[in-house]
Amino acid sequence: MTHMFDNGNRQPPKAGLLLLQIFILGLFCVFALRLWYLQIHRGEEYAVKARENQLRQEPVFAPRGLILDRNGELLAVNEPAYALGLVREDCKDIKATLAQVAHWTGVPVAELQQRFAKGRKRVKPFEALILIPDLSFDQMAVIEANRLHWPGLDIRVRPRRHYKYGTLMAHILGYVSEANEAEMEKDPKLALGDEVGKQGLELMLERALRGSKGRRQFEVDVNGRKLDERVLRSPRAGQELALSIDLHLQQLIMDWLEGEAGAVVVMDADTGQLHALVSSPSFDSNAFSSGLSPEQWATLRDDPMHPLQNRAIQSVYPPGSVFKLCVAGAGLSYNMVDPRETVFCNGALKLGRHVFRCWRRGGHGKVNFERALVESCDVYFYKLGKKLGVDRMSTFANACGYGVRTGIRLPHEKSGNIATREWKRRRFGERWQGGDDLNMAIGQGFTLVSPLQVARFVAAMVNGGKLLKPQLLKDDKVELLGRVPLNKDQLAMIRKAMHNTVAGAHGTARRLRTKGVDVGGKTGTAQVVRLTDELKKLKDKDIPYKYRDHAWMCAYAEKGDRRYAIAALVEHGLHGGSGAGPVVKAVIEYLFNGVTLKRPERK
Amino acid sequence: MAFDRRLLIYINWPLLGLTCILFFCGVLNLYSASGFRLEDGMSVAPYYQKQLIWGLMGMFGMLFVMLFDYRHLRTMAWPLFWVTCIMLLAVFFMGKTIYGARRWLDLGFMNFQPSEMAKICILIIGARILARERESLGFTRLAYVVGVGLIPAGMVIRQPDLGSGLSILMILGGMILYHGMTPRVFKTLLITIPAMLPLSWFFLHDYQKQRILTFLDPTKDPLGAGYHIIQSEIAIGSGRFWGKGFLAGTQSQLRFLPEKHTDFAVAVFGEEWGFAGTMILLTLFCVFLYQMVVIARDAKDMFGSYLAAGVFFYFFWQILINMGMVLGLMPVVGIPLPFISYGGSATLVNFFLIGLVLNVSMRRFLFKQ
Repeated sequence: MTHMFDNGNRQPPKAGLLLLQIFILGLFCVFALRLWYLQIHRGEEYAVKARENQLRQEPVFAPRGLILDRNGELLAVNEPAYALGLVREDCKDIKATLAQVAHWTGVPVAELQQRFAKGRKRVKPFEALILIPDLSFDQMAVIEANRLHWPGLDIRVRPRRHYKYGTLMAHILGYVSEANEAEMEKDPKLALGDEVGKQGLELMLERALRGSKGRRQFEVDVNGRKLDERVLRSPRAGQELALSIDLHLQQLIMDWLEGEAGAVVVMDADTGQLHALVSSPSFDSNAFSSGLSPEQWATLRDDPMHPLQNRAIQSVYPPGSVFKLCVAGAGLSYNMVDPRETVFCNGALKLGRHVFRCWRRGGHGKVNFERALVESCDVYFYKLGKKLGVDRMSTFANACGYGVRTGIRLPHEKSGNIATREWKRRRFGERWQGGDDLNMAIGQGFTLVSPLQVARFVAAMVNGGKLLKPQLLKDDKVELLGRVPLNKDQLAMIRKAMHNTVAGAHGTARRLRTKGVDVGGKTGTAQVVRLTDELKKLKDKDIPYKYRDHAWMCAYAEKGDRRYAIAALVEHGLHGGSGAGPVVKAVIEYLFNGVTLKRPERK
Repeated sequence: MAFDRRLLIYINWPLLGLTCILFFCGVLNLYSASGFRLEDGMSVAPYYQKQLIWGLMGMFGMLFVMLFDYRHLRTMAWPLFWVTCIMLLAVFFMGKTIYGARRWLDLGFMNFQPSEMAKICILIIGARILARERESLGFTRLAYVVGVGLIPAGMVIRQPDLGSGLSILMILGGMILYHGMTPRVFKTLLITIPAMLPLSWFFLHDYQKQRILTFLDPTKDPLGAGYHIIQSEIAIGSGRFWGKGFLAGTQSQLRFLPEKHTDFAVAVFGEEWGFAGTMILLTLFCVFLYQMVVIARDAKDMFGSYLAAGVFFYFFWQILINMGMVLGLMPVVGIPLPFISYGGSATLVNFFLIGLVLNVSMRRFLFKQ
């Protein structure tokens, strides 16, 4: 049996055996020498390092980029905030420490434990896990006084966002707040307690604004004093941003809208830069940086005036007569209007069994193209709308930027709605009818637009038909997104009608007249509900607020080489001229005469 | 078959004893590194307990391996080799992907890593092939032996598991050195291999390059591996001659090491037991390795001798690389220290291989008188 395994009398290789022994010897010598070097030769040195000094690292927070208005006024800055951190390696008893922190700050223990459980995975050893990003001064005083008994707790100074005009700029700047789990998951650079942009420009320009954290290494002696600090990486502050917004104009408009719900957009007609973007009412951005309590949040969310809603871009309204500018444009563009031709308005138009009324009961009599716009004759536009039909009107409206997003660099912009046959069929399962054409022609029915779209459209009427991207930063380049399909003469006709709406004896926007400035405008009154006959009889101030019409005013103003487009909407403001006109007038006065018109006191 | 009492007498008792001593040193060290302190009020997995259980299982495995005659492995070598290759192939098609690498076969009750088996298999097939070679290896025979090794190694590297793949080649390489080669081959390899090393740089992953760069300058990556190297050296160095004493080294400065119970276990040891302790540990390891040389020398057939040499290299490379890394002499790579580092399957394999060489030692009388 054994022969099967026998392979002769060969001896194990002598050289090989020797080699293995040399390997062992080599291993021993190299490591023995190294151990001697580390433990004996440099042992004292390492012992000192290990016993008294602890190499540690911590992040150096980078301040968020400053935000200024177009004139260099500071809008968003950073101020120091005191955060409570916990270094778990130094902490003797985590449970007891968390309970103590809860006792000091009033934050429930369960919440702290949850924070700790979530945060510990994200924190490097010996780094502070931020338990409370923002301590009040009193809290800090208590903790500072008792800190020695609670090793591991560490108060850190870090920058916190502060908005100097919290309410005024909230809808543009948005706000920052603590990064949540999902955001940290997506971006490994974020740590627990870091603030990130959640809304507005803070969100959209997060990357530029954030900068990058630095890192420092330091040694700590037995008393916890930092020794021998060394910056490993310097923090890089976020980029400074200058807005195109004019703080004073913004403030002026906000004052005018006080107590009202509405929005005003002021746009440079040639560059698309926004000089004001106001939505009223507003909220305080600062409330979010220090963390909003659930009650505070509920109050904001459930406020019937919806202060969180940016009405300039996120709310869409029926445009009312403001839309007639667009329908008039469609008529010209499709060569379906002869400006010299007149239409007779007797106050109503019959279509089938329905009677479509003009806003002027008695009718306008003979109206031509220009007069129809200046006096906002409904019957003229009913007829024009019938002639154009929904397909032409919607195609043209889209070309004017209605029904599509403007591309402004703010989140959650609404596109509004320009109805088509297909849309109605899908939405309601109904056919498009003749009456729908008529309603569409006067900006009622299904049409919904945002104030920003209106401002951009007006800008296109006076800048040669250019549809520009609305810009919020001073350094943003002009971006041409499209052209309104109207030639120079046709644009001039609309512009002239707008001009006469202000300058003409019967114009509906006469209150915008401003000396030395070429102003043109268009009013609009948008029905919120079809008023019952009963309500119609009431005086304006007796109609319940929620049934009152929305007031629109859009305008251009030009002097020298400066041109602006302005759109104002006041919810339930009743009539365009009286409800939204005064604020537009105030804007024009400010822009060209530097005058600040105060809103008359109201009861 | 009647049990031959000589089997017991010829067992290499020093090796068995050393293995047990090393293993219990490891458990003790793990106890110190992780077990006793309840961190954060939440209990940390008591690694030493688990390690103890793995170790006991390993010892049973070792006894089992000792029971049957190792020479049967010689006949089984090729079938075993092909089975291993098929399993490695299976990993490609139905392997389980964990952490982005396909290394595991799901056996239902456990995840099995065929690359571990490949390490054992390579030393058996290597022993079989080399034991029959009567001459020093010339180019052709060398190419043949290396070629056989490259089949499993290549598949393992593709998984990707560069560490295990290289281990397979290094074990085989060690056995080839043990066998010997012609002076011409030796000279050629002496020149070409160092010359090829820079070339291999281009085949490394970025993170692997990073580790090497970090090793050359630990301050470059003070957050990651560099930090470990620095702290590992501080921990060991601060142990000085007598060490800080058992359980006394688990001060904060060690708790930064995420791998303190696995790859950096010896740093804990060095801190607590000092130069005196580490020298003893080093000596134990050297005697441990030397016992395998003794077994290789006394084995009465070539197959057994080469098996012992293969097991020698299996342990030798691990000790060399792990200690080199922890002592800051080598880049950080994830290789555990046999019997000292925590690890379930590693412990099983270690005991299994010790069983194999003990098997060789206890049957050495069969050919003599």
